[in-house]
Order: sequence, then C-alpha cells, then structure tokens
Amino acid sequence: MRQTAGTLNRIWLTLLGLVVLVAGIVLLLQASGSLHALLNTARSGNRIVTGDLHAVFAPSWVVAIMLVVGVIIGLLGLLWVITQIPRKNAARTYRLHDDGGEGFTVCEPSVLATAVENQVNTLPGVVTSSALLRGTANAADLTLKVTVNDRTDVQDLIHRIETSTLPDLSRALEAPLQRSRLQIDVSGRTQSTGTVVHSTGTVVQ
Amino acid sequence: MNPQVALGLPIPGANDAREDSDGGEMASRGQTVLANKVIEKIAGQVASDESSAGGSSGGFLGIGAHADLSARPKASVELSGNIATVSVEVGMLYPVPLRQATEALRRRIRARVTELTGVEVRQVDIRVSWLTTGTETNGRRRLL
Repeated sequence: MRQTAGTLNRIWLTLLGLVVLVAGIVLLLQASGSLHALLNTARSGNRIVTGDLHAVFAPSWVVAIMLVVGVIIGLLGLLWVITQIPRKNAARTYRLHDDGGEGFTVCEPSVLATAVENQVNTLPGVVTSSALLRGTANAADLTLKVTVNDRTDVQDLIHRIETSTLPDLSRALEAPLQRSRLQIDVSGRTQSTGTVVHSTGTVVQ
Repeated sequence: MNPQVALGLPIPGANDAREDSDGGEMASRGQTVLANKVIEKIAGQVASDESSAGGSSGGFLGIGAHADLSARPKASVELSGNIATVSVEVGMLYPVPLRQATEALRRRIRARVTELTGVEVRQVDIRVSWLTTGTETNGRRRLL
C-alpha cells in the first residue's frame, strides 16, 4: 500500500555507479601506464604534488568553500535518507466539476475508497479489505488489499473484483482507472460481515 | 456573513402597471425578512426529496451520526443581497456516476430555491461526504 523511492534510488545509484566506474577505469589506466601514453599525464609512481599542501588550504575562502560543499553533500544525503521512508501518497480531494462557474463538486478519495472496501467486503470469502486511491479524478489509481480466508476461491474473487468492483469505481468517477493493483492476503479468520446469500425464502411478517 | 436578509419578494398576480404607483405603498406595508436557515432547509429538503442524495441521522452533537439516504443533507447558505451561494454536503448511492448525479442535484437546487424564495442561486457547491452501497451490514443478524 505504501510507496518507496525506488525510481529515485535507481537514478542516484546509477549516477554514483557511473562516477565510480569512470574513476576505476582511470585508475586502472593510470596504474597500467596507458593513461600516460594516451593523454601524456604523469607516470604512475611520480609525485604530482611537490609543494606543501598546507599552503593550498591556508586561505580562509578555501575552508569556507569546502565547508559549504560538505554541508550541501550532507544535506543531499539526508534528503535521500528521508525519501526512503515509505509513504502512502494518497490522492488529494477529487474535483468533479468542469469549470466551477456554477459551483464546485468535491469528493474525498477516502470516501470512494471506503465505498470500494464496503463493496469488496461483501464478496464471498473476504475477511477484510483496504483500498487506497491515488492520482486524479480523471485518472485514478486504485491499490486494493484484500484479506481472504483459506477456503476462498481466489480466481473467482479476482474475477468478481475485475468485473464488478473496478468497473463500478470507474462508473462512479466517470473515467477509466489509470492503474489498479490488487494484493491478496490469506488469513485464518472468518468473514466478519457474514456471507451474502441471495435466497427466495418466505418473508415472515 | 449576515444571518438574515430583507428581500422584496415578487407577489404573484401583481401587474406591472401598478408597480410604479404602488411603490411607495409597498414600502409602507413592511418588508419580508428571509433568514438564511430558510434557504438552507429548502436546499436540504430539495436535495433529499428530489434526488437520490442523503444526509446523516442519529447521534448526539454530531457524534455517532450515521449515513442515511432518507435524511436531509446538511446545507449552508451565504447570502449577498438577493444572490445566494449554497453549499451542500450529501451522501449518495454507490456506484452512481457522481458528476452526472451532482450536476442534476445542482440544477434542481438552483431552480427550486429560486422558484420558492425568489433568491437567485449563483453557485451550488457540493461535497460528497459518504457513499453507500446499500448492502452494508454491521455483522449482526437482523430479526424478522
């Protein structure tokens, strides 16, 4: 139900991997002497810095720049760590009006999610369910987690969700769903709402 | 927000020719004061009676209230002279097409409130606060 920073991680790890790869190739070329032959750089084993490094870092502006760069790198790292916290990223209030000239029509995504849950809870074998809507009213993204008991016909449940639950949500929003994800868990508990039975029994008055 | 507004409501059957001469006389008759609550109740009742929208019922001080399609939806009105902006909080049957249902409700409230009170309703803001599938159970068996 919660989203993690998978894409961000892949991008940053790719960039860092490329930097490390390039650095490694350069070091290998330098060690083997190929870099000296290609770019006429210093030979491996030669001292490049001959003077006193203290003189380089002596000016106060160098220290300030190093400090600022360090703080920036630290902040970027901290932000990266913070983005690792899994988030729901639930949708904001759905606006169902066209231009708003005659008034606004709004509906909280949680209201629709509750309706979906109530509908799914009546399906045979469902113990409990949890729905989360993301995206916009015109392109909603439904994540549905359904807990069923161990005697449930899962294929039948999936078929019912695909043929009734998802089309009903799409009908309510009057827009096709952009994406729908279904997670099914199995539990030893029994259905709390009781099984819905369509019968033609005698009505006692 | 003014709680009530004095309105010169049109009198059915009054002809235009008499309007000029009767202008002073009409002013001397007094004025009709229409409270916001009147329009709020009319808007709520129209939403309840003439659409599938519902409100909340039961509970105490708003605690424990439950969704009820037969209850009158909660409405609030902002009056500015003879122009009103109505806000309605409704519940609906799931899965009705929400845009169509709320648009029909908006048109109905505008028409009926204007018809019954003479107040021009410019905007009707609708908040869908709950949806019911109509088959919800609370886990208890019902005695016949």
